[in-house]
Amino acid sequence: MFKDLSIKRKLYLGFGAILAIILTLLIIAYNRFNSLSEANLWDRHTMDVIQAIDNLRNDLLEVQVEARGYYLTGSPARLDRTRKEQHDIPEAIQKLQQLTKDNPVQVTRFTKLETMINSWGKDVIETQLVMREQLGDKPGAADAMGRTPQLATITNSAIGDIYKFMNDAAAEERRLLGERSAASSNLQESMRLVITVGGMACVLLGALVAWLLVGSLTSPLSNLTAAVGRIAAGDQGARAEVLSNDELGKVTEEFNRMAQSIQDSQAKEKAVSDQLRAKVDSLLGVVSKAASGDLTGTIDVTGTDAIGQLAHGLDRMFENLRSLLNNVQKAGIQVTTSATEIAASAKQQEATGIEQAQTSVEILSTTKEISANASQLLKTMEEATAVADYTTTATADAQGNLRRMDSTMQHMVSATDSINAKLAALSEKASNINSVLITITKVADQTNILSLNAAIEAEKAGEAGRGFSVVATEIRRLADQTSVSTWDIEQMLKEMQSAVSASVMGMDKFSEEIRRSVGEVRQVTDQLSGVMDQVQKLAPQFDAVLQGMQSQAVGAEQISATMMQLNDATQQTVESLKATSEAVHQLQYAAGDLQTSVANFAVAV
Amino acid sequence: MKLLVFHIGADRYGLRLREVVRVVPLLELKQLPLAPEPVVGLMDYHGASVPVVDLCLAAGLAPGPDHFDTRIIVVDYRAPEGTLHLLGLRAERVQGVQDVADRLLTESGVKAAPFLGQVAGDAHGMLQVVELEHLLTPALRIALFPNDANAVDADEHAP
Repeated sequence: MFKDLSIKRKLYLGFGAILAIILTLLIIAYNRFNSLSEANLWDRHTMDVIQAIDNLRNDLLEVQVEARGYYLTGSPARLDRTRKEQHDIPEAIQKLQQLTKDNPVQVTRFTKLETMINSWGKDVIETQLVMREQLGDKPGAADAMGRTPQLATITNSAIGDIYKFMNDAAAEERRLLGERSAASSNLQESMRLVITVGGMACVLLGALVAWLLVGSLTSPLSNLTAAVGRIAAGDQGARAEVLSNDELGKVTEEFNRMAQSIQDSQAKEKAVSDQLRAKVDSLLGVVSKAASGDLTGTIDVTGTDAIGQLAHGLDRMFENLRSLLNNVQKAGIQVTTSATEIAASAKQQEATGIEQAQTSVEILSTTKEISANASQLLKTMEEATAVADYTTTATADAQGNLRRMDSTMQHMVSATDSINAKLAALSEKASNINSVLITITKVADQTNILSLNAAIEAEKAGEAGRGFSVVATEIRRLADQTSVSTWDIEQMLKEMQSAVSASVMGMDKFSEEIRRSVGEVRQVTDQLSGVMDQVQKLAPQFDAVLQGMQSQAVGAEQISATMMQLNDATQQTVESLKATSEAVHQLQYAAGDLQTSVANFAVAV
Repeated sequence: MKLLVFHIGADRYGLRLREVVRVVPLLELKQLPLAPEPVVGLMDYHGASVPVVDLCLAAGLAPGPDHFDTRIIVVDYRAPEGTLHLLGLRAERVQGVQDVADRLLTESGVKAAPFLGQVAGDAHGMLQVVELEHLLTPALRIALFPNDANAVDADEHAP
């Protein structure tokens, strides 16, 4: 709320607050002073009343004194004076009544006093004065007067009452005076307190208002100063915080707007310069690449400004250079390719020539060998013819032998079959023996039991059966031996049977072998017959070969001579091809140099 | 004393020869369904029906397979009541009669099956005598010879 006020209002408000405090204090103080002066007036009034009472007393005393003087002297002057003093008393009483008319107690008191004084004046003074007048100048008048009851009695009651009454009034007034002075001192005390406390409050409030004002004025200023300092130090984004809505707040806002516009314009400037630099950099990059031989860089800078025009010119220049270099490179590659092709074909030709020469030499030597071989073959063929004749006769003999062998084999097969039959008969006999053996074993077992029972019976017969017991034992031993022998025979028989069956198996295998051999022998015989037929056909063919061989030897010699001539021609061709190859090599080197120097420029985009 | 020697399991045992009636080869026995454990069947002995007990089963062992020297020993079984019965015993490896001197027989000293008696040692090892009268348990005896009890009763009531 306080922030939303303007500085002028803040100042007005602050000083107004201070003034209001001082004014309040002053009003309070004024009221207090008024009360104090009123109290003083009342004090004075009381003092006046007391003084009036004193004056009345004085007047009464004067009346008494003058009256007594008159009593003593009887001089008329004194009487006049008495009268005069008497005349003053009502005035004094009136004055008192005037003064105390606000106090009804005192008014009644003083009314009563007036009547008392009046009665006293009438009863005492007037009577005595009259008495004295009557006495006149007679001697002893004074004494006579003195003897009057009014003077003689010591306790003059009337005047005493009056004095006493007056004293009461005076005491009443003094009491009032005491009260009033106490009230006045109270007032004074409160006055001091108000001034002290009010003054302090005033000072404190003033200080508070001053502090608030200073704060509201200086904090936006220092905030602004700090922002300015930060901007000056280079922080473009620095802004002052808007702390209030007063004039300083507006100043801060304006300052912030100014800083923003400065920052914006600087950013714009920087962007422009960056763009320019980027363009120059890109141009520079392309130019540097071109300087190092790489012409592939493209210029993508456009525009109508100086840089754009420069870029355009450079682009055209690079384009021209590229096409030029492209042409040169293509030409170099074509030259190199052609040279390489020529060199390759020359090499090939050379190689072919050399090969040809070698081949002709080889053919020459081969031809010589062929003619030598042909004559050797001629001899061998003659020998072969003789061998073939011999083979024909030998084969016929072998055929006869094989036929004999075949018949022998047939005999062997029939013999094996008869052996097999005999072995089967043997096996059957063994089985018969086996059944006989089983019978024997049974008999032996029965005998064994029989002997046991015999032994038992003998035992039961006691002494009479002793001899029988021995016999029974013998029978049993015999039965046991029979058992053992039977077991032995059984074992032998088993071995024999297994041997027979092994023999049967062996014979079977043997006869199988023989049968196969017979088949093979027949096959061999057939083959030999075929061989013999072929061998007999060989002899006339050998003669034909012999004749061919002879004519071949003659032809080989002729070929040899022709090949010698061909060889010489080939050697000459190879020489000339070598020279061509040398020249083509030099051309190739030159083309290569051209290509490498052009290849330093990269032109492909 | 002469003993008929046979085997129960791997060990040799002997029966007193005077108790033996006959040794017969192993023959087909008539089966007795639901018969007590050691009884293996009935045999025909010269027309008399004789129960056969397997000694291996009686000794609590499994019976071995039949061999040529597995026999049935027919014995005179004397019941405690005094009656005599023929009883067949299936015995394995019946070897024969052996004469054992009485002085060689000693008590085994071990309480095992009730029918095991004195033992004697010889060249072929130990030989133990089978006490025939203790071979059958009372229950088995009643099962095999039920007429005995009646006979005893008859004897008692006779006087």
